[in-house]
Amino acid sequence: MKHDKIERNLGLMLVLTMLAISAGGLVEIVPLFFIKDTVESVKTADGKEMVHPYSPLELRGRDIYIREGCYLCHSQMIRPFRDEALRYGHYSLAAESKYDHPFQWGSKRTGPDLARVGGKYSNDWHVQHLTAPRSMVPESVMPNYPWLIKTPLDTSDIGLRMAALRVTGVPYSKGEAEYQQNVKTFGEDVAKNLRIENAEANLRAQAASGNYDNNPSDVTEMDALVAYLQVLGTMVDFKQFDDDYFVKFR
Amino acid sequence: MEMLMWFTKFENTKPLALVIFFTLFCMILYYVFGSKQRGERLEDHKNIPLQDD
Amino acid sequence: MATVSVAASEQYNYDIVRKFAIMTLVWGAVGMLVGVYIASELAFPFLNFDIPYITFGRLRPVHTGAVIFGFGGSALFATSYYIVQRTCQARLFGGGLSTFTFWGWQTIIVLAALGDVLGYSQGREYAEMCWPIDLLIEVVWVAYLAVFVGTIMKRKQEHIYVANWFYLAFILATALLHTFNNLAVPISMFSLESYSLFSGAQDAMTQWWYGHNAVGFFLTAAFLGMMYYFVPKQAGRPVYSYRLSIVHFWALIFLYMWAGTHHLHWTAIPDWTSTLAATFSIMLLLPSWGGMINGIMTLSGAWEKLRTDPVMRFLIVSLSFYGMSTFEGPMMSLKDVNALSHYTDWTVGHVHSGALGWVAMISFGSLYHMIPRLWNTNMYSNKLINVHFWLATIGILLYITAMWISGIMQGLMWRAFDDFGNLQYSFVESVAAMHPFYVMRALGGVFFLSGMLLMCYNMFKTIKQGSAEPQTDAVAAAA
Repeated sequence: MKHDKIERNLGLMLVLTMLAISAGGLVEIVPLFFIKDTVESVKTADGKEMVHPYSPLELRGRDIYIREGCYLCHSQMIRPFRDEALRYGHYSLAAESKYDHPFQWGSKRTGPDLARVGGKYSNDWHVQHLTAPRSMVPESVMPNYPWLIKTPLDTSDIGLRMAALRVTGVPYSKGEAEYQQNVKTFGEDVAKNLRIENAEANLRAQAASGNYDNNPSDVTEMDALVAYLQVLGTMVDFKQFDDDYFVKFR
Repeated sequence: MEMLMWFTKFENTKPLALVIFFTLFCMILYYVFGSKQRGERLEDHKNIPLQDD
Repeated sequence: MATVSVAASEQYNYDIVRKFAIMTLVWGAVGMLVGVYIASELAFPFLNFDIPYITFGRLRPVHTGAVIFGFGGSALFATSYYIVQRTCQARLFGGGLSTFTFWGWQTIIVLAALGDVLGYSQGREYAEMCWPIDLLIEVVWVAYLAVFVGTIMKRKQEHIYVANWFYLAFILATALLHTFNNLAVPISMFSLESYSLFSGAQDAMTQWWYGHNAVGFFLTAAFLGMMYYFVPKQAGRPVYSYRLSIVHFWALIFLYMWAGTHHLHWTAIPDWTSTLAATFSIMLLLPSWGGMINGIMTLSGAWEKLRTDPVMRFLIVSLSFYGMSTFEGPMMSLKDVNALSHYTDWTVGHVHSGALGWVAMISFGSLYHMIPRLWNTNMYSNKLINVHFWLATIGILLYITAMWISGIMQGLMWRAFDDFGNLQYSFVESVAAMHPFYVMRALGGVFFLSGMLLMCYNMFKTIKQGSAEPQTDAVAAAA
């Protein structure tokens, strides 16, 4: 065939161009949805999944994390290097973000990685740091977020949010059958928090008992964001696995 | 079947892909620069932007 | 050509090109101003002023949106409509459809910026726009494809000139990338918020397939189309090798699509995808440099133009920056280099050596060539073009030098151990060490922005002295 033909035939050029630009994505991305090892299985000794969907309050916190563009300066992806292990902890697993719509791995560390920030600092520290970072870390270049603690959290659409995520495949449950399935997969404590029917009540209960912003009477955006930060990286208990268990999934 | 499985191993696929692409690359080079006549035809069109005033 | 008896203004639809050209200048100034501001926020965080709408996290997508889609996008619309008409010897297809692409696209940029500052974000880099805007983009893009393809179908010149191939690939690829990367489930019909259809590892792959090829097609292939027209035109001689441009085209569009995963080295994606991406990234060096050589060698035999013609200087220097960043890119995609460079300012520097050095500079050169012709006049001041060139060049050099130093320093500080095997530096020590370089980077941005503003002034004066209707004596001369 002569290349000359393509140069004169627009339709042929369109088709061939389409083919040329489709190949890469087809070969690299599509298999990831079918190859089982892409996302590793992480289970407790009694067969429950360790990684579970976020609770309603944590989910709202994650929305705020995205709204404020935190991912532009903070990664959530620890790489398998010695320095990162010392600084941040065990490298991140694909399973740990399997309910993240969208993923928040980030591409830049103007601030430190947050993949395992959960439990590292107290709630009070987070509240103070988010409100005025330089009062805790003088060299920080992070903006102040004083409005978080003053703004009541909008909880009205939490059910809709969980329902939308359910469409994408996150196992938030609607009805008794799905709830029972979740009890089997995650255990009762987690499953209760995944019921869409009880979303708002669960959200308020967690905010009240967690008391993230030191103000038990209102649920603020600060409650949600701190709840989210405190759960990051805490779902997988690495003590339950051999050191080389995760290597085979890389 | 054995044959097919061989292709699914990435340590085999990688060099194979390299050979295929390199051959392809050489063929394109030959096609484009190999024949003088074809070359002249291809170069024909370079003046299009200069003819538009 | 003998057949051209009507004036160019009647034969071609220049009105739409003029509109997009003006908006290129406007969005360039706005986007770069926001860029300078957010760079200053990183150097002096008090500039966030505790106002939600102007914090770094919300303004950064405004910056990327305004420069990539506002400035870059408008420049591509303007030049593609100009080039496709002139190389096909046909008036733009679709009548009002092209006007629709103009107003549609400008609306998109404004809405995207509003959404960003108000906090409606999809949380995906360079694709922050919420779902209704994504749908609008889809519609405008289909109209763009129709106008472009329709014009080529009307062509009087049998052969389709290579610049149009690149534009065509850019339009198709952008449609493909935009569609798949923005698949999402809205919270409700009346909410601007949505959750992405994919999650975790698969979502990351989709996003960086998009992110990398936004650079590859939006910011490279399309601007190569610009190069293949304006460099020969300004030099007054045909492109160095048309054969090379054919190889360049097929190799570039095929290879680029595989390389995106190098943004995810050492992360929780399967190792083979990242190795594959690194391999293709290295191979990508070949067509990239082929294209650069093709552009620069077009000037072979007329090198003195570099001294006498500031517009030529913009075009050729942009190609040099293109060569530099397409060498740096494959190097950074090597896994061992990436282990150091990833997550640091080095990446930011790399992006800007491409975005400022290549994309912006070739656009400046093309606009300086095109705008006087659109308004039937000459540039108001060649001297100011020259000043702009030096302001831009100094700005870029300051910017990328600052980011190289800070990036490599960050990378080294993070992985430094003391004699006892403990980490030598806390994270915040690396933040503090960046301060002088963040100031230097902001200064580089100020230089580049002043050049941009100078260009706006020069263009304003040029357009004012010119006229959209050709002068009577010009028509007489043509007849």
